[in-house]
Order: sequence, then C-alpha cells, then structure tokens
Amino acid sequence: MTDAPGTLLRARNLVKEFDVRGGGLFGRSARLRAVDDVSLDVRRGETLALVGESGCGKSTTARLIARLVDTTAGTIEFDGREVQALTGKDLHAFRSEVQVVFQDPYSSLNPKHTVERIVTAPLVYQRRPIPGGARAYTGALMERVGLDPDHSTRFPAQFSGGQAQRIGIARALAVAPKMIIADEAVSALDVSVQAQVINLLRRLQDEEGFSCLFIAHDLAVVRQIATRVAVMNGGRIVETGDRDQVFDTPKDPYTRKLLAAVPRIRPEWDAARRRNEAARRAREQEDAQR
Amino acid sequence: MSEALLRVRGLTVAFPTASGPGEVVKALDLDLDRGGSLGIVGESGSGKSMTSLAIMGLLPKGATRSGSIEFAGTELTALRERAMRAVRGDRIAMVFQDPLSSLNPYYTVGTQIAEAYQAHRRGVTRRQARRVAIAAMERVHIEDAARRVDHYPHQFSGGMRQRVMIAMTLSMEPELIIADEPTTALDVTVQAQILDLLAEIRADTGAGLILITHDLAVVSEVADRIVVMRDGDLVESGTAERIFTDPREPYTRMLLEAVPRIDDEIGLLRTTAGEAES
Repeated sequence: MTDAPGTLLRARNLVKEFDVRGGGLFGRSARLRAVDDVSLDVRRGETLALVGESGCGKSTTARLIARLVDTTAGTIEFDGREVQALTGKDLHAFRSEVQVVFQDPYSSLNPKHTVERIVTAPLVYQRRPIPGGARAYTGALMERVGLDPDHSTRFPAQFSGGQAQRIGIARALAVAPKMIIADEAVSALDVSVQAQVINLLRRLQDEEGFSCLFIAHDLAVVRQIATRVAVMNGGRIVETGDRDQVFDTPKDPYTRKLLAAVPRIRPEWDAARRRNEAARRAREQEDAQR
Repeated sequence: MSEALLRVRGLTVAFPTASGPGEVVKALDLDLDRGGSLGIVGESGSGKSMTSLAIMGLLPKGATRSGSIEFAGTELTALRERAMRAVRGDRIAMVFQDPLSSLNPYYTVGTQIAEAYQAHRRGVTRRQARRVAIAAMERVHIEDAARRVDHYPHQFSGGMRQRVMIAMTLSMEPELIIADEPTTALDVTVQAQILDLLAEIRADTGAGLILITHDLAVVSEVADRIVVMRDGDLVESGTAERIFTDPREPYTRMLLEAVPRIDDEIGLLRTTAGEAES
C-alpha cells in the first residue's frame, strides 16, 4: 500500500496509556487510556486542527506524533518513514522536520538565553552551519515573524506574550520544518494579539508551505485557521472532516454539543455594526473631500 | 425609575513604583442598577480585575484607592474594616476564576460553605448551616447534594467546583455578585452551563451582576451594560447593544474586529486600525 502523494503524516490506531495511582489509600495502580485508537492524516501544506475539551487526549496525541512520548500501540508514518523506528541520524533529521510551538512562550523559551541563541539553537543542535552568521540569520527570521531585528540580544522576559510567542515561531521556522505542531499556541494571548499571531501563522504557511497540526480548544479560532478538523472526546476522534463540513453540518452529537456551547455575538449586532462602520467611513471620506 | 445599586465615581487605584505612583485604574465611573448586569471588558493589564478588588476593598498591600464607591446608598470607602467585612461576602459576593485556589483542600465543601455562612449570620447552629449548604448546592444543580456536601474540593470537576463557589456566594443571598473571569478556566460546554446558572440565579434572586472578562462573546450574552477598559482608562461605556452595534472608539472597534467568529466570514482578522498585521 502506498501513500497518497499529498499525505505527509499518517497516524494509525494510536494508543497511549499512562499508569495512574488508583483511588483510596492503597495505591492500587490503574491504567488510564489517554489516547484510544486515534488515526489521522496531515496532508502537505494543510492545517489539520485537533479540537476537544480538556483531558480529551489532543495534546497527548500531538506529543506522540512529535515523538516526545512513546506510543503504547499504533504506527506513525512521517514523509514515508516509520517514526517510532527512527534512531541516530534519522531521528535527528526528524527532530528538525517537525517543530513544536507551545502554549506558554515564557516557559518554553530559556529565560537566560538571548533571542539569537534561542532561535539558532535548533541549527546548533543539528550541527548545521548558520547561513550568513547567527546575527544576520536571527535578524532575518525576526523580521519574518514581525519582530524588530535589533532586539536579537534581548531576553524572553523583555518581550510581551505575543512577541514571545513570535520568538517561539521564529525558532520553529529556523530549520525550515515540514510540519509545525502548534499546541494551544494562541490560547493564552489577548484577543488582539491572538488575531495577529493567527494572521502571522497563515501568512507564513502560505509562504513556506509547511503542514500544521493545530491543537486547540477554541472552535472560533480553529475555524479561522483549519483546512480540516478532527474532533476528539474521551481519547477518541469522534469526527473528521473539511472545516466547513464540520462547522456547518456536524455529524457527531458531541461535535454538535461543542458547537452549540460556543458563546456568540448576535449576528444581527455584527450586521448592524458593519452597516454603521460603512456609513461612518463614507462620512469620513465625504468630510475629507470637503 | 430603577434604583442605583452601585455608583462609582472617580475611582483611582495606584501602586508605588520607582518613578512615583503608577495608576492602574484612572478616574473610573461605573453605574449599576439594582438587578442589572454590567460587563467590564478589557485585555490583560487593563485594570478590570483591580477595579473589582477596589470595590471589594481587597486591594493588595501597597495599593492606594481614591474616589467614591456608593453601594445601595452606603459610601464603602468611608467604612472601617469591620463594617466592610459585614458588606463583603454578605451583601457583595465575589466569584473568582480559579475555584481550586479559592477553596481549602483540607475541608469538605459543606464545611466551607457552612463556615462562610456562620461567619456572616450570628447564632446559626452547625446543623442549620449544614442545611443551608445543602440547599445552596441543590440550587446550583449539584446532584445528590446531601452526599456531595461531605466531599473534598479535589473530588469535584472544575465546573462543579465553580458551582460550589457560586453556591457559597448564594448562601448569603447577596445583592451584588462580582464574577471575575468565572468561566475562563472552564471547558466551553461547562462555561455555557455556568453562564446559564448565573442568569437563572439573577432571575430568581434579583441580584445585580458585575462580570469581568476578556471574552467579548461571553459578555455580549450576559451583560445589559458594558464598560470597555484599557490601561486603567475607561475607553467607552454604554448598553451592550450600542457597544456591539455602534462602537465609537477605535480601540473598541479594533477589539470587535479581532474576535474570531464561529459563524462569520473567514478573512484576515483586523488587529489594529488600518493594519492587518503588526
């Protein structure tokens, strides 16, 4: 069986179990099945969003795929190679092809390292030469993610949350990955900053063509960024489909429940606001011409 | 004419910094009618939580407060700590974001609700307080309340813990509930349940509500009046419908444009006026 040429990542029947202390004083051990028979594909250049509520197994699934934790069962194939079987040089290469951007930029960036050291770390780890030197390379990356290249000698604490998350994205881009796993990467950001980072991720994906596995709990955010959506509940994927199919005609009762619970600004208010906004702009233009 | 429950004038909160006092809330005016609901919206650092702590008289050490806070005809800023303590929890109750850090892990939830109740109601027996605790838990739809009353906080899920917190505030039958990001840490399905619960309680008890949140969609569903804050300043205030249909300030317009919608066109999210990405 061969892969469709468009598929970058194929995960089949993933299972992850954790040992947990059982209830009571006697510490009976039990197995918690955090990920239960999960299969998913990420195609080249697309964003697959994995959504669900806390404890549904979405982050664990992302960690399995990035090989940050070992699977209990199942197979992961990335670009034609069996991920669990990778060792030595091949594993090293995989580590640069798949990059992870985490939720909390401050805890995922070393506070004692400058931006330059953070952003070039993946290249140093890969023992690759830094094209054009560290300073110039960092500057160019910072520009691409909308940061001031003159700030390359600053430390993470000197940046705001949104800026720090851009550093995390710059670090991920440094090794030109084939796939970025964004694990709640915009969840902790203020709404206006969140919008900037979403726009940035969309633009970079257009330019670079990487695939993205976007882990999130916020359905409105997911709708802005996903090509396809997989909904998880209780360790399982309950529904997968194209974005519009999942949002407009959800099949699974859990997906429907999730969508119904999202708070909404009344559509008639939004429509009225747009009318008022258009009228205001027209007035302003008239005034300017006068 | 509806009666004023809360009238705040010129509220300023400042912290001492190396370069003189730094104001985190600047000359803020707020009005809430009896039974009304007011949403205070802002991004991080806007001063929205400091505003609620100032009203409650719970500001952190070192903070100074000036201005007037009139609650049901009483000037709160003139009250001594003992008198303020009688208002706080009894007539004004607060629900915080993180119920786990507001509950003591060593005591059962029933003990904690009963203790809070006894602290405000003199001469109440433990048995009576326990009955009040069970009734309050039933009112927030915690099933099997008579048994759950003897459980510890860790035995409840996040949403259930927030219900316990709301039960605790309800047992005192407050006239004003201040909820500071009450659903931010909760899953979306649980958030919907808690928001429904708050609405139901307001309808039943006639309590006024101040909802402090960063989430514009949430506030649009809950509040009749809205105050938008930024860097300690009041940017804009008005009825929810006016703010959402005809925002006058550029910052409010930008905030509304930046909210990703679940049921709207998908395009570039506007982030700052005229600039798609910065």
